Amino acid sequence: MNSLFLFQLASLVMLACGLLGLTTRRDLIGMLISVELLLNGAGLSIVAAAQLTNADASLGQLAALLIMGLAAAEATLVLAIVLVVGKRFKTTDADKISELGG
Amino acid sequence: MQELQALSPYAYGLYLLIILGGSLAAALCKNLIRAMAGLITAMLGAAGMYMMLNAPFVAMMQVLIYVGAVSVLIFFAIMLTKTPAGDSPELGSSSKIAAGLVVGVMPFVFLVSACLNYFKQQVETPPDIPVDQLGQDLLTRYALGFELISVVLFVAMAGAVILGFERRRSQ
Repeated sequence: MNSLFLFQLASLVMLACGLLGLTTRRDLIGMLISVELLLNGAGLSIVAAAQLTNADASLGQLAALLIMGLAAAEATLVLAIVLVVGKRFKTTDADKISELGG
Repeated sequence: MQELQALSPYAYGLYLLIILGGSLAAALCKNLIRAMAGLITAMLGAAGMYMMLNAPFVAMMQVLIYVGAVSVLIFFAIMLTKTPAGDSPELGSSSKIAAGLVVGVMPFVFLVSACLNYFKQQVETPPDIPVDQLGQDLLTRYALGFELISVVLFVAMAGAVILGFERRRSQ
């Protein structure tokens, strides 16, 4: 068992918990929390793979930074969308939000 | 140096425990505030992992961006949607929890076996990448990605502002 596997194991723990939360949670903000967990695991996995193999290490670190930027953008947009949905439906329960309208 | 290397398994175990506990709390806590506290704990554990991988700049950015900014955004979302005391609706029926366990555990098992069998570590100690080299790469070799992430951030912010105006008009 090498240290690359150990770091990948940590990121896989985050992946599994994120998927578990994404499927069991019913409100939009809980889903957002799970997606952040998934993105964190992805960043950790990329940095571990880049630092411990012959791949370009600086590319790996920059990729993790790009993931953080994407996570920030995604969180901003989801915040706005959740606000609009909460205003219109008076709930953020994903099972109750089932109407489409123009 | 030798003493530090002898300590590293314990540090790894500590960070893994932090990540595991935080992630489980983030996935399973009914109260959204508690779930957020779990998420922040897991993010701090990931920052510790970055430090162990000899990527201190990424660890700093993890603390600044995730723990500092993104978590505050999600707290605002919890506050503004007025979920009573942050409680989320019921976690779902038992069949949903079973489905969640399947969806969470199956990829974990497959990917762990793939990591064990196919991932070969090629470098014994992770290399030192100085921050100025990261900056140089960002502005020369990977300038396209840098510009694209700027555009994505701009579009996301502009979209959020437009959605906010929409909300005010419909009031």
